Amino acid sequence: MISLNDFLIVGAALFCIGLYMLLTKRNAIQLLIGIELMLNAAILNLVAFGKYDKINNGGQIFALFAIVLAAATTAVALAIILTVYRKYKTIDPGRINSLKD
Amino acid sequence: MSNFQPYQQSLIICLALTAVLLPLLAFLINVCLPGKTNKAAGWVSTGAILLSFVSSIIVFAKLWNQPQLHWQFKWFTIGSTNAYAGIWLNNHSVIMMLLVPAIALPVHIYSTAYMKHDERYKRYFTYLSLFCFSMLALVVADSMITFYVFWELVGFSSYLLIGFWFTKDKAVAANKKAFIMNRIGDVGLLVALLIIFIQSGSFDLNQLFGSYGLIAQSQVVNGLWVGAGTTLPVFWQYVACGGVFLAVATKTAQFPLHTWLPDAMEGPTSVSALIHAATMVAAGVFLLGRFYALFTPAELDVLAAIGCFTAFMAATIALTQNDFKRILAYSTISQLGFMVMGMGIGAYASSLFHLVTHAFFKCLLFLVAGIVIHEMQHIKYDNKLDIDPQNILNMGGLRKKLPFTFIAALIGAAALIGLPLTSGFLSKDGILIQSVDWAEHRGFWHMLAPLGAILTTGLTAFYVTRMIVKVFFGEFKLEQFHPDIKFHISDGGWQYKLPLMLLAACSLFPLFSINPFVYEHAWVFSGFSVETGLDRVNIYHTIIPVGVNILSVFVIYGAYAVYVKRNTWSFPQHTFLFRLSYNQWYIDAFYDKVIVGGILSLTRAAAWIDKNVIDGFIHLLTDAIIGLSKFAAWFDYYVIDGASRVATFIVRVTGNFIRYFQSGKIQYYLFSMMAIVLLLFIYLLF
Repeated sequence: MISLNDFLIVGAALFCIGLYMLLTKRNAIQLLIGIELMLNAAILNLVAFGKYDKINNGGQIFALFAIVLAAATTAVALAIILTVYRKYKTIDPGRINSLKD
Repeated sequence: MSNFQPYQQSLIICLALTAVLLPLLAFLINVCLPGKTNKAAGWVSTGAILLSFVSSIIVFAKLWNQPQLHWQFKWFTIGSTNAYAGIWLNNHSVIMMLLVPAIALPVHIYSTAYMKHDERYKRYFTYLSLFCFSMLALVVADSMITFYVFWELVGFSSYLLIGFWFTKDKAVAANKKAFIMNRIGDVGLLVALLIIFIQSGSFDLNQLFGSYGLIAQSQVVNGLWVGAGTTLPVFWQYVACGGVFLAVATKTAQFPLHTWLPDAMEGPTSVSALIHAATMVAAGVFLLGRFYALFTPAELDVLAAIGCFTAFMAATIALTQNDFKRILAYSTISQLGFMVMGMGIGAYASSLFHLVTHAFFKCLLFLVAGIVIHEMQHIKYDNKLDIDPQNILNMGGLRKKLPFTFIAALIGAAALIGLPLTSGFLSKDGILIQSVDWAEHRGFWHMLAPLGAILTTGLTAFYVTRMIVKVFFGEFKLEQFHPDIKFHISDGGWQYKLPLMLLAACSLFPLFSINPFVYEHAWVFSGFSVETGLDRVNIYHTIIPVGVNILSVFVIYGAYAVYVKRNTWSFPQHTFLFRLSYNQWYIDAFYDKVIVGGILSLTRAAAWIDKNVIDGFIHLLTDAIIGLSKFAAWFDYYVIDGASRVATFIVRVTGNFIRYFQSGKIQYYLFSMMAIVLLLFIYLLF
């Protein structure tokens, strides 16, 4: 029997991996993947906690919403990455530092 | 005034104004004429003075010994004081008004030839007309204001003419000297005019000095000078008299202010003739005549003493001078001394009479000197000699070469000495006789005046003879020094001869008196004489003319013997008296040393004080201010700026530290965010 703790441990591990990717990777696509991992960790948690609401299945439904929204966000983020690439000819976030004062 | 019909009055006034204003018109025309040597200028000026002469003859004929004519208009008003301008014609002014153009006309004619080759011919006549205008206007002025204006103008135009050859240093020095010395007199006159105005409240000469005028009526009572306007302390009466005397002494060259006149010889000779005869020096005697009522008996005594001393001193100086014009200049000073003395002893009429006669013969002598000097200059340039053309030691024997000039010179000299049949005899004897009369009742010291005058007459005879002999008799000295010179000299054309003839005729007795031996019969004298019972009451009237003339004849013969025949004793040339006379009593040297030197050392002392004390104080002040401002700059830089610099330093360091976080990399931002959240989490947990 797989306990709730196991789900939560996997979710936390996924979140940590996503965060690590977000902080260290030198490619915007990989950052996006990191974000997806973190989202999916959150969704996993939602689904795991969903077993305490068997009548309304609030957790399951919210997870579905989150997946849809994540897809939409990814599409927007990819479009931004494309535009950034057109402008800077790179997608390395370390080299895009125009925000500097 | 009642004797004239109104239309006659206005006619005479118009004529008088014409006579005065014509030279001014000539002056204005000449200013506008083109060219520097425009010969028209000479004819404009001469024509103007001729017409002015004609008008003044008519005015004179109408007004001489007639009631006076006085015409004026209101000029301006200051407060409640009205100033009038106009003309006042009485015997005193009409005779001067006749005299001025009568002298100026021959001088003008003479000048057209004398200045013919001058490069500033036009300017010369322009100045000459201005000079004549100022003098004519001076003699008819009826108000003290206009009198003063024209008095200044006479001084100024004489300044222009004395320095006419302004490229000569000596001429410039001479005209400056004349001008500066005349300023002394001008200040005196101004002070006197203002005091008289305050005392009497009027500028009108007729009101002030006419018969029974305000000044004659004012009295000195208990140390107060009671006048129509105000009562002043008597001290101011002395100041006013002193001022008038100062003005007279400078214009007529009386001791101690006479030194400008000999130096004024640097001007053209024709100008000297005008200055010495009618225009400049006569103004002083004229002023004395106009202001006669101002003087008290004691002040008149001082006047007599100064006149007598001047006459004597100038005569002694003239004895040894070698410059032709300088001798004449000192003789003028001497004769002017006679006139001032005449005024001082109350011989008012004789003094003015002498002024008139002196004008003619002195002008004549100057024109003669001009011809002689002109010819000497020709010789100098033709033979390229280095001589002084005015030095009489170079002349001699000119009577054969310049016969006409010689005769004119003899007449002039005789008149100057005062020999019978000349005009000088009449006028000079008038003064001498009256001086004896005056001194007779007054005691020993007063006797010095007639004695000095008679002695001066003797000296005059001597120096005039010496001058005539050295110039016209004997051998031509220049020919002896330079045997090979060539010269052709002559009396010159009609422009030279006509003036000499006119003036020589006027230097003889017939113009002035039918009887050549009795001055009381001269019309000029009787025109001014106020006393009626002036008969030959005592023996002086016979003794003095005879005695003086015998003295003169002896002196003339003595001088002639000394200088022509050289058969008697000759004069020692190195005694103290000779040097005193030759150096003009050291008066110029004294002025140079004491007054000029004194003023120079005073100014040097003032410059030293200015430089070291006043400037020193200012330098000290500036140094202090510079030190203070240096300290302020230091304080500003290190303290005030320092505080703000520390503040900016702190801000900059902080800013730089914070800037370090703004790397522009998203991942750093994320990392920071995460770190902060983590820190918060840890903080909340524990």
